[in-house]
Amino acid sequence: MPARFGLRPGVRRLFRLPTGHGPAREEIDDELEAVIQARADALVATGMAPAHARDAAMRALGVPLETLRAQLHKSVEDRARRMRARDYLADAAHDARYAVRGLLRTRGFTFVVLATLAIGIGATTAIFSAVDALLLRPLPFAQPDQLMQLDLVAPDVGRLTGSDAMPWSYPKFAEFRSRQGVFSGLAVHEDMQFAVTAPQVELIRGESVGASYLRTLGVKIAAGRDMDLSFDAHPEASHEVVLGYALWQSRYNGAPGVLGTTIDIDRAPYTIVGVAEAGFRGLSGKAEMFAPLTARRGAGLAGAHSYVFGVIARRKPRVTLAQAAAATATLGAQINREFVKAGRADSAWTARAVPLNALRVSPLVRRSALVLFGAVSLVLLIACANVANLLLGRATKRQREISVRLAIGADRGRLVRLLLTESVVLALAGGACGIVFAWLGTRALSAIDPSATLGRARGNGFGAISFDSIHLDWRALAFIAGVSLLIGILFGLVPAMSLRRMSLADALRGGSAERRGTRGVSLGGRRALVVAEVALSMVLLAGSGLMLRSLAKLLTTDYGFDGSHVLALRVTSFPAGAVTDNFQGFWAGVTRELRSLPGVTAVGLGSNGPLEGGSGTSTIKSLDGVAMDADRSPLVGVGEANADWFSALRVPLKQGRMFDARDVEAAPHVVLINETAARALFPGESPIGHQVAAAGGMDGSATIVGVVGDVRQFADSAAPPELFIPLSQFGHQQLEIFVRTKQQPASLAASVRETLRELDASAALTDMQTMDERTSAATARARFGALLIGLFAATALSLALIGVYGVMSLAIGARTREIGVRIALGADAGRVRRLVVGDAMSLVLVGGSIGLGSAVLSTRVLQSLLFDLSTTDPATYITIALLLLGTALAAAWIPARRASRIDPMQALRTD
Amino acid sequence: MPLLKGTLDVLVLKALSWTPMHAVEISSWIQDRSDQRVVVDDPAMLQALHRMEERKLIVAEWGVTRNGRRARYYRLAAAGKKHLAAESERFVDHFDALLAILNTRKA
Repeated sequence: MPARFGLRPGVRRLFRLPTGHGPAREEIDDELEAVIQARADALVATGMAPAHARDAAMRALGVPLETLRAQLHKSVEDRARRMRARDYLADAAHDARYAVRGLLRTRGFTFVVLATLAIGIGATTAIFSAVDALLLRPLPFAQPDQLMQLDLVAPDVGRLTGSDAMPWSYPKFAEFRSRQGVFSGLAVHEDMQFAVTAPQVELIRGESVGASYLRTLGVKIAAGRDMDLSFDAHPEASHEVVLGYALWQSRYNGAPGVLGTTIDIDRAPYTIVGVAEAGFRGLSGKAEMFAPLTARRGAGLAGAHSYVFGVIARRKPRVTLAQAAAATATLGAQINREFVKAGRADSAWTARAVPLNALRVSPLVRRSALVLFGAVSLVLLIACANVANLLLGRATKRQREISVRLAIGADRGRLVRLLLTESVVLALAGGACGIVFAWLGTRALSAIDPSATLGRARGNGFGAISFDSIHLDWRALAFIAGVSLLIGILFGLVPAMSLRRMSLADALRGGSAERRGTRGVSLGGRRALVVAEVALSMVLLAGSGLMLRSLAKLLTTDYGFDGSHVLALRVTSFPAGAVTDNFQGFWAGVTRELRSLPGVTAVGLGSNGPLEGGSGTSTIKSLDGVAMDADRSPLVGVGEANADWFSALRVPLKQGRMFDARDVEAAPHVVLINETAARALFPGESPIGHQVAAAGGMDGSATIVGVVGDVRQFADSAAPPELFIPLSQFGHQQLEIFVRTKQQPASLAASVRETLRELDASAALTDMQTMDERTSAATARARFGALLIGLFAATALSLALIGVYGVMSLAIGARTREIGVRIALGADAGRVRRLVVGDAMSLVLVGGSIGLGSAVLSTRVLQSLLFDLSTTDPATYITIALLLLGTALAAAWIPARRASRIDPMQALRTD
Repeated sequence: MPLLKGTLDVLVLKALSWTPMHAVEISSWIQDRSDQRVVVDDPAMLQALHRMEERKLIVAEWGVTRNGRRARYYRLAAAGKKHLAAESERFVDHFDALLAILNTRKA
């Protein structure tokens, strides 16, 4: 409102008028004195003695004189300050309007800068969101820092590596639970598929858990109640189940009436007692229901050396991480020793407690996420260098305008603010556009299926943190705003700084820097930026080159089987009536029917398949009748298979014989072992004819009749030692089937489904996919990483090339006169081109060498992500160096050709 | 009698529309016109004067009183005249309306 009465702020600014108009301090003091005097005079006129009149006048003020004086001073100053603030804001708004107008005038420039920033900021934000969701955000449990995962630690045995993240056996866990004192809650958990009959059999993912599982994690109950804690102590006490919230909603429409009713799980009735809070899907991240472990497995919990259970524990509030870890290690070692029978060597196994947060994702995912974040930050840096470059160029072009402003007395500070405003406006707009890219990026990232991409079963990491928790949230938006603002200020300062150095006389004489040619200050700065860009993109190129070569190696690795023309599926049999242990008839029927389908050449059945991420957790009980200490045995995988399993997957027989008709149920038990197991168990001799017994699945000793090729469980690591026992000698409820066909395996899917339904409508068919699909899923993480880094590197390279092109064009513009003289003096076109290209290449060579050095140092972080490849692989470095030189040559060629076409007369005439 | 917000400014401007005055003169002028009903204390008067001076409604100059004392005299600026006209119209309207309501009698 005051602006209506005073001068418009713009006018005041223009004439550099002071902002305050109130009385000065001395004037206030004088006036106050005059008022008191006048009051005193009036009192004297009424007859008061002059000596008292002044005191009376002072008293009449109502406040002490000093206070009043201070108040008056302060009010005047406050008002002046408010006015300055208003002016400042008005200036800022004016600058912003000016900046927007200027940017709209130069649309091409603005578009390039916005696009560059949007890509840089958007990609960085998308990856930041991933890093945030996967690594930073607190776990979605109550007091997540108290939660720890307990593992058994098996040391290396001979040439076989142990594991520091072994699951527990139930007896060892129960012993540990009763004797520990550092945890307030402990619970076992195990991923399960529940066969729910209602009335059709449906397989539902869930977890078999200790009764205190939900309490330990601090998961709330949305309806009903949690499991009865007494279950832990009394196996098979009662059959109760807690539903996941999603299942409650989808299957029962969230009806509260479902509580107290029963459902059939594996043909046994379970009472639904509660519903877990929304969003909780177990530590597996996929569980839809939770049933007490004791009820489900009952007597099956007795095996002291059957290691299948995960253990989660909550630290007591007063216990430190170190105390909990130490207590776990001590007690774990003690218990492991006690479970070894007397007279045997002491067990060397121990236990460890690790904060759950440290295991939230596997180390490889953690590293991938950080590497990608590093890579995308480099892209952002290059984008910023490009923007700074463009802004510098713009400042150079505007030097004349700015020097005129300076000459008519513009304040340097105000001009700096003007330039800063422009770059901040630009950066914020770029950030706003970046939100679009970030959104697209996070959508793409959240669509990644972690089970396929991450090899979920492998090592650490649990499903509670999954990629679908990646989304744009206020943290990401704050990140965008922060980054944009930082960029805007940083790169506004660059041209602003050159302004500080500018001498007025120089500037007025006409575009100083443009005239000073290639060695001019601002051009020098721009050349430095280009060198930096080239160096940074070299680092990214090196990283992506390594990832791509590693990927190529991974894709051409022999996984030990031939998956082309193979369809894989999993079948679970639910025979009517009571569950029996004899499934032989069912599987014989399945094999016969599938074998009769047209084009089918082999139907392999097995408990496991290649690239499933399973790893050996069984132990050898005895070799040739000599018992082996369970805790000292190598970890082996034990799988059941029929002979066709090997022919369907083309796994070669290396020695001995395949399973055949002799191996019926009543015949002596036989076993096949893979080459790794042969080497580990029988170094230097033929294993054929030896006797072996293993825990888990094997029933007594069996004779080794053959050696088969290794089949990988993970694309990027060698096969574990494995034993195969013939299906014909053991029954199984669920098996994986591999159908080899002459046609496209996918085309077989419908007829396989149909055949199975006709055979037994109650059997459940899951996980149907071609083996080619499985192979590609198993390498998805490597492909995904290589793709993203490759994309970043390509972006970085093109940005750097734009930089090279831009700075060379500008250099030629500045050297037009010089080149004109050269041409006039007889330099031919080739010579001029060589001059320009040589200039450009010197930048690229300097940048490239710096980049090469940094790449050799920095790509070390990639080592654990690379498959069978050194980070200093010379072929990769030579390739990317050639790529960089080649593309840079092309980028320099265009301005070089323009330079060679300079008309000398024209060039000399231009002022 | 306490003044309504914004009233003092208008009264001061009205006083100054007569002739330039200093702070004490303005106070007495207002006191006289209101039959001693409106009494403005000096601190409030000085604050109001300084505020209006900053807003360029009035202009201050040092002068000499009849008693031969130095005093800070205020006169109306162009903006002050406009402000006075606008504000007094607003005040009159406002009080007219209030009076019309308050004087309503039962029929």
